[in-house]
Amino acid sequence: MSYNTIKVSKGSGGWGKGLVLTPNDQKNVVLSVTGGGIHPVAAKIAELSGATPVDGFTNQVPDEQVLAVVINCGGTARIGVYPKKRMPTVDIYPGSPTGPLAQYITDDIFVSDVGVNNIAALGAAEAAAAVAADAQAQTAAATPASTPAPTPPPPPQQKGFMSWVVKFGNAIGYIINTLLSSGRQALDIILKTVLPFMAYVGLLIGIVNYTGISNVLASWVTPLASNPVGLILLGVIVALPFLSPILGPGAAIAQVIGVLMGTQIGLGALPVQYALPTLFAIDGQVGCDFVPVGLSLGEAKPETVSVGVSAVLFTRLVTSPLAVAIAYLASFLI
Amino acid sequence: MDNNPVMRGITWFATHFIGLFNASADAFTSLLTGILPLLMVMLTFMYALTTWIGEERVTHAIQWAGRWALTRYTIMPFLAMLLLTNPMAYTFGRFLPERYKPAFYDSTVSFCHPITSLFPHANAGEIFVWSGVSAGVLQIAPDKYATLAALYFLVGLVVILIRGIATQWLTGVLIKRGGHEETFKRYDEAYEAGRIQGVQE
Repeated sequence: MSYNTIKVSKGSGGWGKGLVLTPNDQKNVVLSVTGGGIHPVAAKIAELSGATPVDGFTNQVPDEQVLAVVINCGGTARIGVYPKKRMPTVDIYPGSPTGPLAQYITDDIFVSDVGVNNIAALGAAEAAAAVAADAQAQTAAATPASTPAPTPPPPPQQKGFMSWVVKFGNAIGYIINTLLSSGRQALDIILKTVLPFMAYVGLLIGIVNYTGISNVLASWVTPLASNPVGLILLGVIVALPFLSPILGPGAAIAQVIGVLMGTQIGLGALPVQYALPTLFAIDGQVGCDFVPVGLSLGEAKPETVSVGVSAVLFTRLVTSPLAVAIAYLASFLI
Repeated sequence: MDNNPVMRGITWFATHFIGLFNASADAFTSLLTGILPLLMVMLTFMYALTTWIGEERVTHAIQWAGRWALTRYTIMPFLAMLLLTNPMAYTFGRFLPERYKPAFYDSTVSFCHPITSLFPHANAGEIFVWSGVSAGVLQIAPDKYATLAALYFLVGLVVILIRGIATQWLTGVLIKRGGHEETFKRYDEAYEAGRIQGVQE
């Protein structure tokens, strides 16, 4: 039997730097612990590497024969059990280190959101390099199995009703696990980005209201914001090419002015209809600080960046006040 | 004791020091209870939806939308923002010819605040541009809040279309004026030949 080195990469929502796996005579089982049956990902790993896929729900395989474990877990249990035993773990769901065993889930042993397309055979040269790196790890852990592993029997095919139950259960599991992992992702961005900004804005509103600065600011901004011409003028000012890149970063200024304007509207100092044109007037500079970065995210060439920066900054002089005017007309619908 | 100016000064300072932070804490609490729960469940749902739809299908839809100017500066930025959210949305510029990239960026970045009125997850870190202004409307005329949200979104679409077309035009002019025409002709040919950066294996 010939064995090949394969590479398992993470999927779009996944975690981990990917695993490089090479089976040998002692380690040649791909364990599929996915609620019964061989998962297509496990089948693909086995097919490309030359190892044997085994259904981990109905068969017991000694740990030292296992090349990799394929799991479908976004929760707490299986996701950590196999990494804790230092067995390479391939998670079909987009999981990341969580649960009581999170400390064992490291990127050299765990990869997630893996689909059939994330598995590839490595070319000879790449494989040699990977194997060389792997060899040290192998020798360190080498406690050769005394009895050669009997080739596990081919997995029994599930039929009829039971296969439906398993499929149904897997679908539910997939939905719930994705939602859980999304919830974790949502909490992550709220903790790291939204809450700090809320604390800052809260402090700002507190200071501005408590000290009476809001009244002073209102007396400056209200005349400008209380007639359409003033709003259009504001739209021009924020879009001035030498000003807009300074006003942009983090939309901090737009957000602060937005909060101040909102307070004035809430107090009745500005008419409700002006909310819409105001939104555009305070935001004419949006992204002007970010043009080169945004373009390079789109893999633009240096010539495109040099042309693009001026193109974006200078069209804003027209499109920013124009946006305010359109919004002003649309605000009659409110 | 009451007439001691030092003591009065200290009392004044203590009262207002605490008062200032109490006012700030009140503002913070109202933000926490007002916006955060909605944002949290919405973020959860949208992240899950993107996972279910799958990156491949998303990429496909966005590439399709990039073909015509009308969709390139409306649907394409909307989908990019909706599914990839703020900073990552600009990476979809790589599916476009070089000469359209500045216009696509301008169009997409201009939608990163209007989109938050209906889909706050798309740019959760900068939500106060919208929610700052709309909080005032919610306070004084709650019945107009939904209309305002829908209009901000729709007018946003019109504005990004105009910005995209304007920037596409000016990019073309600057390419000619700057003598870059040969370079960009080469880029266009490479694009036609299907050598899109980041796509080839």
